Amino acid sequence: MTAYVIRRLLLAIPTLLMMLTLIFVLVRLVPGDPAITILGDQATEQALSNLRIELGLDQPIYVQYLDFVIKAVTGDFGRSLFTGRTVFEEVLLVLPYTLELAAASVLLAALLGLPLGIVAALYRNLWPDYMSRVVSMIGLSLPSFVTGILLLLAFAVNLGWLPVISKSTGSLAGHLLSLILPTLTLGITMMALIARVARSSMLTVLNEDYIRTAKAKGVRSARLIRKHALRNAMIPVVTVIGLYFGTLIGNSVLTEIVFSRPGLGKLIVGALNSRDYTMLQGLMVVFAAFVIAVNVITDIAYGFVDPRVKLS
Amino acid sequence: MILRWRRVLLGSAIAITTALTTPAWAQQKVLRVGMGADISGLDPHRASLTTDKGPVGWMFNGLVRFPPGSANPDEIEPDLAESWTSSDNGTKWVFKLRKDVKFHGDWGVVTADDVVYSLTRAKDPKRSTFSAAYSAFMKIEAVDPLTVSIELEHPVPGFLGLVANYHGGNIVSKKAAEAKGADFGKAPIGTGPFRFVEYVTQQHAIFEKHEGYFRGAPKIDRIEYRFIPSEASRELAFSSGELDLSWGRREQRWIQRWSKQEGSVVDVFQPGEYRTVHLNTTMAPLTDRRVREAVAHAINVNEIVAFVGADVGPKGCSVVPSGYLGEDCSAGTYDYDLKKAKSLLTEAGFPNGVTIKSVVSNSNAQLPIMQVIQGQLAKAGIKLDMQVVDHPTYQELSRKDASGMVFYGAARFPVADTFLSEFFHSSAIVGTSTAITNFSHCAVADKQIEAARSEGDPKKQLASWADAQRLIHQEVCAVPLFNLMQVFLRSDKLDYGYKLTGALNLVPPITERTELKK
Repeated sequence: MTAYVIRRLLLAIPTLLMMLTLIFVLVRLVPGDPAITILGDQATEQALSNLRIELGLDQPIYVQYLDFVIKAVTGDFGRSLFTGRTVFEEVLLVLPYTLELAAASVLLAALLGLPLGIVAALYRNLWPDYMSRVVSMIGLSLPSFVTGILLLLAFAVNLGWLPVISKSTGSLAGHLLSLILPTLTLGITMMALIARVARSSMLTVLNEDYIRTAKAKGVRSARLIRKHALRNAMIPVVTVIGLYFGTLIGNSVLTEIVFSRPGLGKLIVGALNSRDYTMLQGLMVVFAAFVIAVNVITDIAYGFVDPRVKLS
Repeated sequence: MILRWRRVLLGSAIAITTALTTPAWAQQKVLRVGMGADISGLDPHRASLTTDKGPVGWMFNGLVRFPPGSANPDEIEPDLAESWTSSDNGTKWVFKLRKDVKFHGDWGVVTADDVVYSLTRAKDPKRSTFSAAYSAFMKIEAVDPLTVSIELEHPVPGFLGLVANYHGGNIVSKKAAEAKGADFGKAPIGTGPFRFVEYVTQQHAIFEKHEGYFRGAPKIDRIEYRFIPSEASRELAFSSGELDLSWGRREQRWIQRWSKQEGSVVDVFQPGEYRTVHLNTTMAPLTDRRVREAVAHAINVNEIVAFVGADVGPKGCSVVPSGYLGEDCSAGTYDYDLKKAKSLLTEAGFPNGVTIKSVVSNSNAQLPIMQVIQGQLAKAGIKLDMQVVDHPTYQELSRKDASGMVFYGAARFPVADTFLSEFFHSSAIVGTSTAITNFSHCAVADKQIEAARSEGDPKKQLASWADAQRLIHQEVCAVPLFNLMQVFLRSDKLDYGYKLTGALNLVPPITERTELKK
């Protein structure tokens, strides 16, 4: 397995390099001058020009590219053009918030979605199945910003149980309370997805010959589901969780905006709006690395779920 | 019995947890402010975003100041300087500083060296966004530790505004600025009622009261300045009592709705951001003055004002915003007259109408207005070909002459010279090495603008500004629309300690007198 992981990580290097080049070119193709964003509209052409020199934006593109790649290889992604802080520093400031929200949402979605999907499969075309399908359809159809606002209206404004804006200062209890609604907002969609995949996967497995054989041999229902059906039905579910976890950074931006939470998604949007080239490049590397890591972890997880899967 | 013990244990656990986890400042008077965007930096000589300017105003002082709640240059009063004198022709100024004014932290007291350093820094284009405004500052000297002398190349209109608590006039600690270098904006040191404590990207900036503030310690202990980009979330946070002061929407219906809410107060104040449509006189068919005039007569400004709301967007009458020193409306406005517009087009050789290209920002403050204008122009046979882009792209393309019509909003120091110089003087034409924001390439009033700038006699100065505005009007370089006022929503428990009619930093000043009442 170690060899597999190393191979996957080595394969990630050219992917990252291609991604870096693509991002470097794309962000520079988009019109918009970072100097104007930084200095504002009252700045004279001379002041703008001075700043462009200071930021290295006056250099030919290939010089900027080589400089970027050489520094990136050594782990230096430069400083944000906008705030002056290092990209690494900026990412570290918000990464815990993104990971915390992603992990909490995935956990919630798995805890609710799996039982919902399994129950729906076991009681196919009966009321638990209908209920489960209705719940998943609602979860999938509601855009996260709508879910977020509805949850805020209900639990923060009307009931006053939870805060509207996420607390970044104050007590741990306050922090955890402010995590509940964003987690629900992101988790509901994912829960619906997991429930749907778990249901269809379980239905396929339950119709397999070996399940019928086990039933004929008198294996008890609970054991049959837990030991024989569930483990085999989990592979597509793990795939969905892995894929969703990887894209959660991009998907979470609306949740971060609605709940005023810091996060990588919001950082990417902010960097794009201010044409913060260095920040965008650094964030894309982090994002790509994150997706690659999640994919590797997902592959490894297959082996645990189904020992027949060998990572070679 | 067991149930009772469980309750006791649970209660104790909650009490202990709360005691352990509740920070000491929870008992303080905390002002919670919600803004729509993150700050880019807090260096007063760089700060150009509204979100930057507000806190800068809470942390810094100038030699003189606009009284809190006022944006009127006539009301300027002493700040770090307790008195000043000027030569008869207004080219030499001497300021006497207050004694023992403390900077935040351990950065000592204000001396003439700090003032000289700050104003020199404000004049330096490498360290200041506002350097152009200080170009006439010839010599800035410390006469003694508490006296500063400033010599100007020529009299500067509204000179005191340049040494006031606004933009480059803010006084920084020389020692701190030198020690921190380019990082000064991340942890600025000033003399104002609040000192910088902490900044967390996308989340908040924290300020605490400056105990040694020379006007007395503030009544508010701490300000939590939150960045909440979603307007809906800001409103919900305000409704649930999590914010005391919030950025508002500059729209009549919004103001009316919130004014009726119990416990909330809507503040509408100056300076407005003056909305003007600049017509590019070098781009066909707008090269023909008759076509520009046709455009001006096809725009129904009253309808636009009704769309925005008269309270929040009062109509303008000159290219210089209403209320600015030197504003002159004697040239009149371009009446809405479709017949005249069509006949002017025919006269110019375009009986079937014209097409004008315009790069338009997708921002809420711009796109809806441009869509209204597009509809109005269509009635006169003028097709407005809008290229809708995001705001940074709009800013760049407008400066690259890609637009025949540029819709622009700006708030400046309220003296005619600022608007005339930045938008209508030939030195500010976009695409040149001295460019600022002259999108129309207007160059008909240079002499008058320059004459007013160096004129010592206020009457003659006003006359030159009036001449300049008349010439610009005749040339149809721009169509003035309306003045979009600043709007903030606050809890009725928040008492500013002054009457808010204006704030040049575009955010209500929080002073030593501001308090949160129970």
